[in-house]
Formats: sequence, C-alpha cells, structure tokens
Amino acid sequence: MTGSFWAAFFLAPMFVTLIGAVLYFTLIDRMRTAGPMNQVLVTFGLIFVFLDLVRMGWGDIALGLDGPASLSGTTRLLGVDYPAYRLFIIALGLGVMATMWLVLARTQIGAMIRASVENTNMAAALGINVSKLFFLVFCFGCALAGLAGVAAAPILSATTTMGITILIPTLIVVVIGGLGSLEGAIVGSVIIGFMETFGAVMIPSFSAVLTYALLAVVLIWRPQGLIPARG
Amino acid sequence: MFYQTKLRSITLIAALIFLACYASFGSYFAREIVVEIIILAILAISLDLCAGFGGMVSLCHGAMMGVAAYGFAIMSAKLGWPLFPSALIGLFAAVVFSGLVGWVTSRTNGIFFIMATLAFGQMAYTFFFKSRWLGGDDGFGGISRFDLNMIGLETNDSLVFTYIGLVILLLAYGLTAIVMRSGFGRTLSGIHVNEDRMKALGVNTAAHRAKAMAFSGFIAGLAGIIAAQHTLYISPELLIWTTSGEALIVVILGGLGTLVGPIIGAILLVLMKHEISNYTDYWHAFIGLVLIFTVLAGGRGVFGQIEYWFNKLTQKHQSTTKPHGDDHA
Repeated sequence: MTGSFWAAFFLAPMFVTLIGAVLYFTLIDRMRTAGPMNQVLVTFGLIFVFLDLVRMGWGDIALGLDGPASLSGTTRLLGVDYPAYRLFIIALGLGVMATMWLVLARTQIGAMIRASVENTNMAAALGINVSKLFFLVFCFGCALAGLAGVAAAPILSATTTMGITILIPTLIVVVIGGLGSLEGAIVGSVIIGFMETFGAVMIPSFSAVLTYALLAVVLIWRPQGLIPARG
Repeated sequence: MFYQTKLRSITLIAALIFLACYASFGSYFAREIVVEIIILAILAISLDLCAGFGGMVSLCHGAMMGVAAYGFAIMSAKLGWPLFPSALIGLFAAVVFSGLVGWVTSRTNGIFFIMATLAFGQMAYTFFFKSRWLGGDDGFGGISRFDLNMIGLETNDSLVFTYIGLVILLLAYGLTAIVMRSGFGRTLSGIHVNEDRMKALGVNTAAHRAKAMAFSGFIAGLAGIIAAQHTLYISPELLIWTTSGEALIVVILGGLGTLVGPIIGAILLVLMKHEISNYTDYWHAFIGLVLIFTVLAGGRGVFGQIEYWFNKLTQKHQSTTKPHGDDHA
C-alpha cells in the first residue's frame, strides 16, 4: 500500500479488469447465450462469492480513502465554494461519457461493436471476431466499474456492501434510460440523481419511494425505457 | 405443463415425512430449522409457479411475503384485530401488492422483468424500513400465534407449530399443483412458451400474467404469515431482495418448474447453511459456488436431474409406449 490516490486510480481499474478477464474465460463467455435467467443466477453466485472474499481480505469495517491532496480544497465556481474533488468527479464522468460516445459512434471499432450487438451472426460473417470484441468490451466495462469504485471511495468510503448498495440505483437507471443505450444511461442517471437529491430536501418523507414511483411510471408508459437502443 | 407424476408424489411424501421425523426426534433447534425450511419452501413454490411455469423470474417474492407478514402483524399487534381476520387481510395485501407489480411489469420480459421486480421489491422494503410507526429498521414484536386450543392444539408448543407448518406446506403445494394443472396454469405455460401465439389465440396475456403474480402472492403470503408467527416478531429483513434471491437459489437448486424441487432445494439449502456456518462465517461464498455449479451443470437442479434420469430410464424400458410429456426446462 503506497497510500497514493493516483496509484489506486490506475491500478484498481487494471486489477478489476484482470478479475473480469479471468471471469470472462471461465464463466461469462459460456453464459452469453444462456438466457437472462441463467445469467442472473451466475451473477448472483458471483456476488455471494466476491462479497465473502472481500470480507475475508478486508474485514467488515468501512475503509476510508483520502482523495488526492491536490484536489482536497474547494474551488470558487460561479460565486459558490464547491469541493474540488467533486468537480473532478463531474469532469471525469463527462470525460468518460464523451470518450465512449466518440468511440461508439465515430470509430470503426464502435461500428463493429454496434454491428455485433445488433446481429451477431451477420457481423461474424462479415469477418468481425465477435467473441474477441465482446471480450474487449467486457474488459473495458470492468475497468470503468473499477474506476467508479476508486472515484467513489473518498466520498462514500469503501465497505463490503457498497457493491449491493449501488446495484439497485444502477439497475433503475438502466431500466429508466433504456437497455443498451448510452444516451439512456446518461439521461437516466441525471434524472435519478436529481430526484434523489432534490427529493430528499423538498419532500423527505416521500423521497425514498420517489425513484421507484418514477420507475413504475416509465414501465407502464414506455416499457422499453426513455431512450431505447435502436434496432 | 405440470404433471403430478408418481416420482413427484413419492418425493413429496418422503420429504414431508423426513421433515416431520427431523422435527419429532430432534431438539428444539431442529424444529426451528424445520420451520425455516417450511417458510423457504413455500416461498420457493410460489416463485416456481412464476418463474418455472410463467417464465417470470421475479426478485420481489421476499417483498410479497413481507407484505403479508406486515399486514397480519399490523392488524393483529398494532390494531388489536383477531388473528384469523388479520391473517386474511395480510394475505389480501400480498395478493393486491403482487397483482399490482404483475400488472405494471406485465409488458416487460427477460432481464427487464427481473430488474423491475427487483426495484419494486426494494420499494416495499424501503417503505417499511423508513416507517417509524412500524419500528423501521428494528421491526416490531407483540405478534401472537393462532389460538387453536378449541381443537386441542397448543400452537406455542414448537412441535405442534412445526406440524401445522408442514400441513400448510402441503396445502400450498396442493393448491399450486391444482392451479397449474387447470386451464389457468396451462395458459400460463403457453404464454411462457410463445406469448405472441397466445395473444393470437385471444388471450389477454398481460392480465393473465398479472393474475398469476397475484396468485403467487397468495402462496408467498402463507409463508409470510408463518414467518411472522414463528418468531413472533417482524422486521424489514423479510422484504429485502436477498430473501427473494435465496428463494430463487432454492428453486434452481431443487429444480425449476417441478414444484417438488423447491421443497428439496429448501431442505438442502437450509441444512447446508447450518452445517457450514458451524465451521465458517463465509457460507454465502459456498452457496454462491453451489449455485454457479448447478447452472453450469445444465441448470436442472437436484430433483430436476433425478427426474431427467428417471424419465430416460423408464423410456428406455417402455420404448413402445408413448413417451412422457416434455417437462419444463
């Protein structure tokens, strides 16, 4: 442990990617065609296993992590003092979003990914190595999850249950936004984030149920999500 | 489609006798384990009817059970109603909740359905968790068991309570089996296999799925009433999504779409849990590995695998007779 935030910032996503790569070859590749039920079950099993592995290694106590010293102060922005680290997270999020959009929408590899998702067989017939591509996408997803973990640790502090706590809001964001659409994920997370924050301030007694109520409305009104994936 | 085969009847009776013996000859602790198995088995049967026959893998069954338990506890312990009407109101609440969730999610499928039910289960959990009147996180006690002294049963005796639980388990199984064999159950299976075709045949598939969820809520509610009377205390713990996840594990471990499988799965899971937690605190990891192994091994589950081998064996012997109806995978 060097105690350096920036070391963690790069090492954690790499470590998570490594775990993801191992999982991909042992389990996930086989589960790709197994249907949602089996996928959920295997994921479930993995949650149980990893939760206990983390408890074995780090115990049940929440671990705090200090943000980098260079971002510990506040920044004056539009006349408001705002924690610099939170601004950094916002910038990081925007950066990741922009990069992903550029890669998916504007590059050849993005086109190959979209083609493989839309019609796996046709993409393979056109000479795309679909399984290698999906492996890369999965690794990249793992790296992003690791990055989110590092970025969140100074604010939320690392606990064994943080994986479970973040799961439900993440699922709600994905369902509201629309499965498989980047724009949907962005719109969904902005809506949920705003509702949780403003709901907690303005109607505290009702705020816990508010996001679920929104989910119900979206499911009735647009079962495919606000911005569903094309195709 | 559901068939009450001889193998299923024999396994069911054997499982019930095993549980009764385990409770009768074991200590007080053994009876606690049996009641735990009964609650989990009823919940898993309720989930099996949704997931195995309707293809609706729900992660809000813990919440369905919890709503019934809370309904019963609120009426009896907080408002002082008699126990039987309170239990009926608890069951009714579970049916309404499940029906509503079923109606809202009836147009979603696959992973969307799983996520949506997960979210609604968590919504119910959050509601009880935040409610100060109902003790929030701590839950509340003061619940009593049914007074059956007029027919000579002392429900506060742990053995008598366990026997009553076993009878309710048998009733839950029987009721589910009858409904799954009826036209209603067959239509549900039809929707699972090909929803568009059932629509073309003039079935209102969304309404049918919502009704199936409501019925499933009734069965889950039975588990909730037993759970509340067992510990004489309830907490939001009942509704949390991991309870539903545990029920799903039980269904998979035992055998999806067999109704007997969930009972076998509940016995295996609870016994495994108690045996392993004697040695290590990390029994969840073991359950996780068992689950992954079960899915990779073909996903039939313990009873499903036995049934598969049994059917293969009998078909080999009587190759001239008509083969068995294909079971749900």
